[in-house]
Amino acid sequence: MTFKHITEEKLSLPTEFPALPSMGGYVLFAGIVRDINDGKQVTHLEYEAYSEMANQMIANIIADAFQKWELQYADCIHRLGKLNLGEVAVIVSTGSIHRDEAYKANRYIIDRVKHEVPIWKKEFYINGSSEWSKGCVDELHEH
Amino acid sequence: MKIQLLSFAALKDFFPPKQELSLDGIHTVFDLKNYLQNKNPDASNLIKVSRISINQIIAKDSDTITEGSIVAVLPPSSGG
Repeated sequence: MTFKHITEEKLSLPTEFPALPSMGGYVLFAGIVRDINDGKQVTHLEYEAYSEMANQMIANIIADAFQKWELQYADCIHRLGKLNLGEVAVIVSTGSIHRDEAYKANRYIIDRVKHEVPIWKKEFYINGSSEWSKGCVDELHEH
Repeated sequence: MKIQLLSFAALKDFFPPKQELSLDGIHTVFDLKNYLQNKNPDASNLIKVSRISINQIIAKDSDTITEGSIVAVLPPSSGG
């Protein structure tokens, strides 16, 4: 199954901006698989989601961002399945007339996606062990 | 009452990813959490910090579960 905001396909960075003449600022965030977490050497990750629900929740978060800021453009796509180091896990892109709103909306979307959307990460370590990420139970959501 | 129960991520170490449950005396999300914690006490800490969705909508502890619902136990998210 493929959804607009959830995919098992490899993510590529966009090579062109959305063709919107009023858009003067465009912000792109990419979440990338890194090789270390909590001091443990990571070899790869697996992402799992409650896909139908995750897709709808991301769509709702984007709609909320459009309500909060005067955006020209906003999108988010999250990858599932096995991801190797350096691969892109999530892309959030936002555009607005001026840069400020694009920056703020981008941060808002990735923070909410990270903390609210039912997507989970399993980390695989160099010693052969693996562990589900504990996720965020911190109300401040500042990490 | 019959429901379909979905478990994700670390919860799958304790419960099947998808199961049909016939439940008696369970009316609310709170009741279901207690039932699952009693069924597998090792999962208690994880269930306590998990959210529950009913038919893909996040539910409160006081919300009622109805016949035929698809109920999911969602551990804290860790996407991004």
